[in-house]
Amino acid sequence: MNAAEKEKLLTEVVQRTVDRWCRDPKTTEEALFDTIYHERRRLEGEKKKSVAKRDRALYDRSYHQGLKASAGTQREIFRQIIQRFANEVVGHFDPRVYALSTRVIPVAMNLLLNSVSPLRLVETLQGANSLIDQLDLEGQTHTLKRLARQATIVLVPTHSSNLDSIMIGFGLYRLGLPPFTYGAGLNLFSNRLVGFFMHNLGAYKVDRRKQAAVYKDVLKTYAGCSMEMGFHNLFFPGGTRSRSGAVESSLKRGLLGMGLDAYVNNLRAKAKKPDVFIVPCTINYQLVLEAETLIADHLKAQGKSRFIIEDDEFSKPRRVFEFIQQLFSLHSRIHLMFGQALDVFGNQVDDQGVSHDHRGRPVDRTRYVLDSQGQPAVDAQRDREYTRELARSISESYHQNTVIKSTNLVSRAVFDLLKEHNPDLDLFRLLRTGGAEESFSLQEVYGRIERTLTTARSLAQQGQLKLDKTLADKDTVAVASEALAHLGSYHRKPALERRGDRLFHQDRKLLLYYQNRLSGFAWEG
Amino acid sequence: MTSKNTRSAKLDILVVGGGTFGTSLASILAGRQRKVRLWTRRAEQAEEINREHTNHRYLPGIKLPVKLIATNDLKASLQRTQIVLMVIPSKSFRQVAREIGDSLQGDQIVVHATKGIEIETFKRMSQVLREETCALKIGVLSGPNLARELMAGRPTGALVASQYREVGERIQPLFAGSHLLIFSGRDVIGTEVAGAFKNIIALAAGAADGQGLGDNAKSLLVTRGLSEMARFGVALGADVFTFGGLAGIGDLMATCASPLSRNHQVGERLAKGESLKQVLASMTQVAEGVPTTRAVYLQAQQMHMTLPIVEAVHGVLYQKVKCDKALHQLMAIPVGKELAALRFR
Repeated sequence: MNAAEKEKLLTEVVQRTVDRWCRDPKTTEEALFDTIYHERRRLEGEKKKSVAKRDRALYDRSYHQGLKASAGTQREIFRQIIQRFANEVVGHFDPRVYALSTRVIPVAMNLLLNSVSPLRLVETLQGANSLIDQLDLEGQTHTLKRLARQATIVLVPTHSSNLDSIMIGFGLYRLGLPPFTYGAGLNLFSNRLVGFFMHNLGAYKVDRRKQAAVYKDVLKTYAGCSMEMGFHNLFFPGGTRSRSGAVESSLKRGLLGMGLDAYVNNLRAKAKKPDVFIVPCTINYQLVLEAETLIADHLKAQGKSRFIIEDDEFSKPRRVFEFIQQLFSLHSRIHLMFGQALDVFGNQVDDQGVSHDHRGRPVDRTRYVLDSQGQPAVDAQRDREYTRELARSISESYHQNTVIKSTNLVSRAVFDLLKEHNPDLDLFRLLRTGGAEESFSLQEVYGRIERTLTTARSLAQQGQLKLDKTLADKDTVAVASEALAHLGSYHRKPALERRGDRLFHQDRKLLLYYQNRLSGFAWEG
Repeated sequence: MTSKNTRSAKLDILVVGGGTFGTSLASILAGRQRKVRLWTRRAEQAEEINREHTNHRYLPGIKLPVKLIATNDLKASLQRTQIVLMVIPSKSFRQVAREIGDSLQGDQIVVHATKGIEIETFKRMSQVLREETCALKIGVLSGPNLARELMAGRPTGALVASQYREVGERIQPLFAGSHLLIFSGRDVIGTEVAGAFKNIIALAAGAADGQGLGDNAKSLLVTRGLSEMARFGVALGADVFTFGGLAGIGDLMATCASPLSRNHQVGERLAKGESLKQVLASMTQVAEGVPTTRAVYLQAQQMHMTLPIVEAVHGVLYQKVKCDKALHQLMAIPVGKELAALRFR
């Protein structure tokens, strides 16, 4: 993206948002005061006093001006607010740094990680070059690389950790692809060095505390316009990190739909490369950095989880450091599994960019968006349904491309045993008390793991999920010991611990978290 | 008929399936001056419709509109139309859907009017269409539509349900001014479940008639059947209100009251002592209720749902339970609050 493109993008975002929100004086007025109301409320909780004071003065002024203003002036005031939002989102994106970053990203990433605790990290990591070595890129990487040359790619990964975007950054670099544009929460920018590179690796800033509807629309429009201009995008359609540990099954369709909008607009403008392809991708860890916080949050509210968590492991450098240290010492692999590319209607796309139906027959995708006159056109109701189809295909791809790890499988086996041994306890009491026995005999656990492994292997054979190398090749004892090595370390309290020939379950919430990765599959056993 | 002009002219709609219902729908449209083609698999049948204006196998003794043209060239007809109306028995639905899928394009609308479920997979017809074609704008047409009454020009109504608003909007004007009122809706699952499930209730109602149990008993069966249908549908993701509409109670009333209904006939003859084999052997047309009962019974078991009427009908059809015994057993099941299962969803 060069300076001119950036300018064009900004103008386009502001213009489209204004057009959408200022259709007539009445809606303009309502939207203006609604936005001012939400912004003033947000500022009440703003921690930085100087920022709060400055912004508050601005919105107070807009409010008083707006009250007496004509329709035209109200529109102008609103336009200025939208402009302000847009500037903030695009941020201090410097095209030169962007270009540079694409070449020096490994160095940047090392800096990023070392910034956590430079000295100690360097000491510990001697011999283990970098986190990149832990990362396995699998699946349809060839297709992704090919399609990225002929179309706009929207990468939609599963989301379980704040390390995800960094892993994806690594992955894309290793594939020789340019950084993808993506919206990162403000909390990711809190570390200044990380923030600097985030911005310049294509990240734009998302302030989740801003509740005004028009702000969210600016974000969506930004994503849509950048897709239209051919910039590859990345976002997590699950919205936030999976709290339960399960693979996302309900996806946010608002942002997903922007791909279709961009595609139709490109067709209408007879763009040279009109296509937008969606590439689902799963990120699979043996251990998840923030597992404890996430599952606690999931259980606390069961569905009413906090949207923004600012005090989790990611914000504590020491924890990040310990986590990375553990991964190294356990030779833990992180799998990035790229799924088959999809068109914006959810059809699979081959590496030539041709869409196919379920029977593998080629499909002319341009025809989905023709109106009754045979011209490409937007139809909001129809397009919402198309996006629902797309979301369904992504969800399917997530499941098929989930790589089950030994921690997931062993947690499932032990958790099943817990439930079987305590049929009268509800989930919460089981988690709290652990039931009648604080341990199981190793033999019983092995038997259970064996059964679960058999089921997992047959599901993998049917193509319903994927297995980590250990699960695919090794025997029960090897699977168990790998899982125990992981589950017994890193987390503050070991989830599982072996003492003699007994296995003690200590943190059942963690077991629940890791075994949830297997929910949503046709599981028996 | 085969001059170059007519061959390339755009059609309003293509009706796929020359059975009773397909021919009836195509006839209504032809009578309204719509440019319609009726596809039949057998060339002789198409020829009979074009030359004699009859379809003696499915609508014996009925004269079809002269303007109704049949064809057995699927590919060519598909290329000329924007809207396809599939009226194919559930048993051969997938096969025909796959054939259509070879030529279908993404801007075309496909609506089906098949009241059945794919037995092997328990898939609804819209799901089969989704798997076998590239079409996304898929809909379902269902309602109290007894073919003989339709052909006689008597008033009735039907629901076209689709997630895509455009589908209803394109189908409605085609039938405008005819004796078939088309309403639109969004609940595809409910409409399909209702259309299939009502055939099971029709079998039971027919059996009650065959036993001469009277109108109270039949009303009890139909009402409780509706409740089972709604419970089952809601568990599959349907909107409960659909079952109070044309595709639900509307269709149920017509099918269970009318001796014209095939499923009703099967139930009645079974109650009078004929075996299922005898009954089916003597029918030229498909009674969808028979396989549907099996499919719903198995699915309900998998979902751990108790559906007493379905179980009773299944017993009679597949487990050699006598009709009178099955009906009496139904009277012995424990009763609770009438609408409890539906109200506390």
